[in-house]
Amino acid sequence: MTRAWFLGLLVFVLLAVGLASLRGVELALAIPFLLYWMYALWRTRDSIQLVVHRELSPEQVVPGEPVVVKVRISNAGGDLEELAVQDALPSGLEIVHGSSRHLIPLAAGKNFQFAYTVRGPRGGYPFGALHAEAGDSLGLLRRASDFDAPARLMVMPAVSRVRPVPIRPRRTRVYAGSIPARVGGPGTEFFGVRPYEVGDPARRINWRAVARHPDSVFSNEFQQERVADVAVILDGRQRTDLRYADRSLFEHSVVAAGSLASSLLQQGNRVGLLIYSHYLRWTFPGYGKLQRERILHALAAAAPGASQVFEGLQYLPTRLFPFESQIVLVSPLLEDDLSTLVQLRARGYQVLVICPDPVSFEVQSLPRPRSRITLADVELAARIVKLERSVMLGRLRRAGVQVVEWDVAQPFDRMMHGAFRRIGRQHP
Amino acid sequence: MTVPALALCIVLGTTSLAWGYVGVGLPQLARWLAFFGLVWLLAVWQRWRWFAYIGLTVFFLAAALGLWFLNFPPGWMFGGAIFGLLAWDLTYFRYRQTFAASDAERTVVERRHLLRLSILAILGFWIASVAMALQLEFSFDWIVFLTIVLVLGVAQIARWFRTRS
Repeated sequence: MTRAWFLGLLVFVLLAVGLASLRGVELALAIPFLLYWMYALWRTRDSIQLVVHRELSPEQVVPGEPVVVKVRISNAGGDLEELAVQDALPSGLEIVHGSSRHLIPLAAGKNFQFAYTVRGPRGGYPFGALHAEAGDSLGLLRRASDFDAPARLMVMPAVSRVRPVPIRPRRTRVYAGSIPARVGGPGTEFFGVRPYEVGDPARRINWRAVARHPDSVFSNEFQQERVADVAVILDGRQRTDLRYADRSLFEHSVVAAGSLASSLLQQGNRVGLLIYSHYLRWTFPGYGKLQRERILHALAAAAPGASQVFEGLQYLPTRLFPFESQIVLVSPLLEDDLSTLVQLRARGYQVLVICPDPVSFEVQSLPRPRSRITLADVELAARIVKLERSVMLGRLRRAGVQVVEWDVAQPFDRMMHGAFRRIGRQHP
Repeated sequence: MTVPALALCIVLGTTSLAWGYVGVGLPQLARWLAFFGLVWLLAVWQRWRWFAYIGLTVFFLAAALGLWFLNFPPGWMFGGAIFGLLAWDLTYFRYRQTFAASDAERTVVERRHLLRLSILAILGFWIASVAMALQLEFSFDWIVFLTIVLVLGVAQIARWFRTRS
């Protein structure tokens, strides 16, 4: 609009001067300007009427996977001589192929379609409106409008398949599952011996016990296997996160939480997710694939944050977790978290802590030591901190908390394969 | 194509005005105009879009003053003003072209724009030249008529702008 005003001012000043001075030459000079100005006014459009449709293919990806965004524009108004469109890209995404902005002539009733490829890190990316600008062919009077074409791209954490998690909560649910329920009944694991009852199959008779006590008959009893309530807690406190360039320890925690939740759900358990960050985000417990999707969506949007309230773990809302259920905490852990975890254990919760190792992560991420600080100094400092951490983790283990330390340089699934085997052996 | 056309317009506009000023014995002003043309070219290189407003105003004023006070040959002055207008237009067209995703897309829009602009410039120059050649005398009735048209035109356009914004 500014350009039109400016040119209009020049034209009318010249015309006014020409008329006031009674000199035709000024009027003649105004003619080209007036012609340009009138042409622009004649060709301008009062409004832009577009129908915009955006399509993402696919809508859910893992970090770094390319996504094709297709935008189709239909002109429901008059001819547009110069239509400039720009698809607003959510921050965090980068274009790897194509362009999200175009300049085209679009006649009435015609369509224009363009596509570009994006990729980005973990997160939820709502696509906003398509920005369009059009006007006369000289660009003197331009109209701008935004056209909604809602779409949402979810970049999920790259969860890996891990073997079934060997958990042993004190209390299980009534439905059959794969978690030993500490109750005799149908199952596969030997649980004990009881007097024979009518209807027991003959292959369950414990002949050795019968041989010792010939007056009675005994049957083997097996441990019932049921599903359990599991709360996966992801520690998103800023103070536990470490960042080096584009690497973040929190990202590894997210992958671990997602992988564990997937595995636990696959076992048939009822799993909920709590993200303990600058606020609490609770994904209500549930079963199955739908719950897995809910959890992965929550994890996709998870971000570390700082809060005075949730600085320590003491404000964990334990009322959300059923009594004597299983808690899986994914956290690098700090010294002052120890007491909270011991308290949880004392209240009857079975606690498994997956602990991405911050010391190894930091050592691997550090730049090459400068002249005054040698590599040996760094290694010595790392050893001291590791010793301190191993003392802390030892105290946790002695309190009955299962702790799995994870050097994030190793893939999570490979590390868990060995760790779960050890945990499985610890359980009688 | 746009950038060479833009530079050419600035050069031709500057040359046209400067030549007119030299022709009536004002080489000092012509030198200043040439210097200003160089500054405008520098602004094009630096992508200072705002400078196009200054450029058009200076060219416009130089042409109007030459015609009004000094009775310069109108052809050179018209040429200077019209090329200034084209340069001003192309500066903003160059910015709008940044929306184009590919060279093919840019070429399509560019060709249409340059064609329209050339037709408008030639038509404007021709009408202005014809008007000068005819040398119509202003009678009182004619002045009253033109003034009424001007006032009505301004009022109508102002109202139109207000309703659109």
